[in-house]
Amino acid sequence: MSATEAVPRHPPVSAAPRGTPQSPLEETGRGTRWAVWVILALFMLWTLVPLVWMLMSSFKNRTDVTAATPQALFQPTLDNYRGLFSGPNNLTPYIWHSVLAAGISAVLAVCLGSLAGYGLARTAMRGKRHLAFWIISTRMAPIAAVVVPLFIIFRGLNLIDTIPGLVLAYLTFNLPFAIWLMSAFFAEVPPSLEESALVAGCTRWQAFWTVILPLTKAGLVTTFILCLVFAWNDYAFAVVFSGPNSQTLPIAASQLVTQTGVDWGQLTAIGTIVVVPMMLAGLAVRRWLVTGLTLGAVTGE
Amino acid sequence: MAKVLYDEATRVYPGSERAAVDALDLDISDGEFLVLVGPSGCGKSTSLRMLAGLERVDGGSISIGERDVTHLAPRDRDIAMVFQNYALYPHMTVADNMGFALRVMKAPKEERDRRVREAARLLDLEEFLDRKPKALSGGQRQRVAMGRAIVREPKVFLMDEPLSNLDAKLRVQTRTQIAALQRRLGVTTVYVTHDQVEAMTMGDRVAVLKDGILQQVDTPLRLYQHPANVFVAGFIGSPAMNLAEYRVEGEEAVLGDQRIRLGRETLQALRKEGGDRVILGFRPESVEVVGDGEADPSTFPITVTVVEELGSDAFLYGQYAHAADPAMAAQTVIARVDPNAPPGKGDRVNLRILPGKERLFSVTTGRCLPT
Repeated sequence: MSATEAVPRHPPVSAAPRGTPQSPLEETGRGTRWAVWVILALFMLWTLVPLVWMLMSSFKNRTDVTAATPQALFQPTLDNYRGLFSGPNNLTPYIWHSVLAAGISAVLAVCLGSLAGYGLARTAMRGKRHLAFWIISTRMAPIAAVVVPLFIIFRGLNLIDTIPGLVLAYLTFNLPFAIWLMSAFFAEVPPSLEESALVAGCTRWQAFWTVILPLTKAGLVTTFILCLVFAWNDYAFAVVFSGPNSQTLPIAASQLVTQTGVDWGQLTAIGTIVVVPMMLAGLAVRRWLVTGLTLGAVTGE
Repeated sequence: MAKVLYDEATRVYPGSERAAVDALDLDISDGEFLVLVGPSGCGKSTSLRMLAGLERVDGGSISIGERDVTHLAPRDRDIAMVFQNYALYPHMTVADNMGFALRVMKAPKEERDRRVREAARLLDLEEFLDRKPKALSGGQRQRVAMGRAIVREPKVFLMDEPLSNLDAKLRVQTRTQIAALQRRLGVTTVYVTHDQVEAMTMGDRVAVLKDGILQQVDTPLRLYQHPANVFVAGFIGSPAMNLAEYRVEGEEAVLGDQRIRLGRETLQALRKEGGDRVILGFRPESVEVVGDGEADPSTFPITVTVVEELGSDAFLYGQYAHAADPAMAAQTVIARVDPNAPPGKGDRVNLRILPGKERLFSVTTGRCLPT
C-alpha cells in the first residue's frame, strides 16, 4: 500500500480568522476585562497570603512572630524548625506516622479503586447506576457521623492507635471516591482496545495490565494525589483513632496549643511541613493532574 | 488457514425478545473472502463478534478448522481482528502495536522483529515503525491495524468495517488493496460492511443479512442477477432495482396502462399461492428507451424529474406519467440511458423492460418466483 497520505510535518495551527474571538474574554470591553483581572488578583491574594504568612512566621523568632505590627523584613531564624526536631516533642515519629498512614491508604485506594472501577465501568449488569451511586454516596456522610461507629468497630478489632487502623479509616472515605473516579476514566477507554488485546491472545488480566492501565495513567495519578492529600490533611479521624503510636502531623500541630499558650512559631513551622510536601507533589504531577481532571481528553484514539 | 462454519449460531441479547443473530448457517471455505453485509442492526457485526469470541453464542455452534470454538475464549481461537476504529494502542509505537500479539505469545524477539518488518514492508509502513499512532494519518493507522493482523499469521482474519473511517477516495483505493492482499496471503477472511458496493467488489461470496436472518449467500454476480428475495433485490445494486406491485390479470401483470406477459411457471407459482398481485422488479440498465411510434402495452411513459450524468453512465429518475393512484404516482423509476444523448428534465420518455430481464417476487413471502 502506498504511503502517499503522510502526516504534514507542521500541522496547521488552528488559527481563527482575524476578528473571530477565540475566547469570550476577547469579545468583552476593556471594563469587563479589568474586572476579571481584579477578581483574579483578589482570588490570588486570598489563596496566597495565608500561605506566605505561615511561611514567613515559621522563620520568625518568638518576639517577631507575636509583634503587634508584623514586619515584612526580619532576621530569619531556623529556631522553630530546630525546636521541632529536638527535645522531648520530637516531630520525627509524627512525620513517619503521617507518611505511612497517608501513603499506604492512598496506594491501597488506587489499587482497589482501579480494579473495582474497571469492573464498574465495563459491567453491563442491571442496576449498575444504582450501585455506582451507592458507592459514591458512602462518602457523602460527614466524618463525624461515621467516627463513632468506626471507633466501636476498631476497638473490637484492636485497631485503635495503630497505623493499620488509620489506613482503614482513610480507606473508608477514599475508596468510594477512587472507585468512582477511576471508573469514569475507564469508561473513557474504548472497549475495542481491550477486545483487540483479548483477540491478540491476552487474558482479561493481561489486557487490563498491558493496555488499559497504561492508558489511564492520568487517572491513577489524579486519584492517588487526591487520596493522599485527603489522608495527609486529615485531623478528624486522627484525633479519634490515634494515640502515641500513631499520631500524625495535624495532631502534633494541635498539641502545640496548650494551656500555657500557643507557640505560633512552631505551629506555623509544622503547618509549613504539612503543606509543602503536598504542594511539591501536586507540582510534580501537575501535567497528569490537569489532563486527569479534564477526563475525556486523554484516550488519544 | 482454515474453514469457518456457523451452524445455526444464535445470539439473543439479554432483555431482548428477538434474536440479534438467528440460527445463522454459513460455510466459509479455506482461503475464502466472505463479506457479511446488511443495513445497520442486521446482526452482521454480532455474527463477526461471535466468531471472535467477543459475543456469547446462545445456540448452535461455530467452528474454525475442525475445532469447535463456540465456547472458547478469544485468545484460544487463533484469529486476528481489525476494528472499525482500528483499536491501536495509543501508548505503543507502530512496531510494538504490530508485534503485540507475538509478544503476548512470548515469541522470540528476533522472530517478532522479522515478522513486524516483513508486514511493514508489505504495507509500506517501514518509516513509521517508531511512531506512535497519534502521529499517523487515518490511512496509515488503518494499515497499522491491518499489519497487526498480518503479523499474527492467524487462521482467520476478521474485519469489522475497517474502511468506514477513511475518506471516500482512500476507501476505494484501500478496498482493492485489502482484497489483493487477502488473495496473496490466502487467509480465510470474514469482512463486515454496510456498504453493498464494498461487499460486491471485495468478496468471493457475499452473505446478506437482515434482522438477524441470513437472506442469501452467493457470489456478487449471482446476488445481483438472481436475488433470492425482494430485500436482496433492493439492497444489492446501486442505483437500486426498481420494484413495484403489479396486479395479475389473466396471464399478464398490470400497472396502469402497462401490461407485461408472465411466464407459465410464474403463473403456476402464483396460482399455488392464490394471490392476484406480484412484485415486479427490474434493474436500471434493464430498460430501453423507445420512440412514441414503437409504444405497445409493455412500454410505459415516465416524466423525467432528474438526470444524473456520470460521464460513463447517465441515470434518469422519473415518475409514471399516467399514474392512476397516488401510490403509483409517488414511485420513482430509475433507468440507465445513453450518456451521449440523455433526455432532458421534464421530458416524457417511453421505457420498455428488456425481455426476460424482469424479476418477479411473491407479495406474501417476498421470495423470487420462477420466470
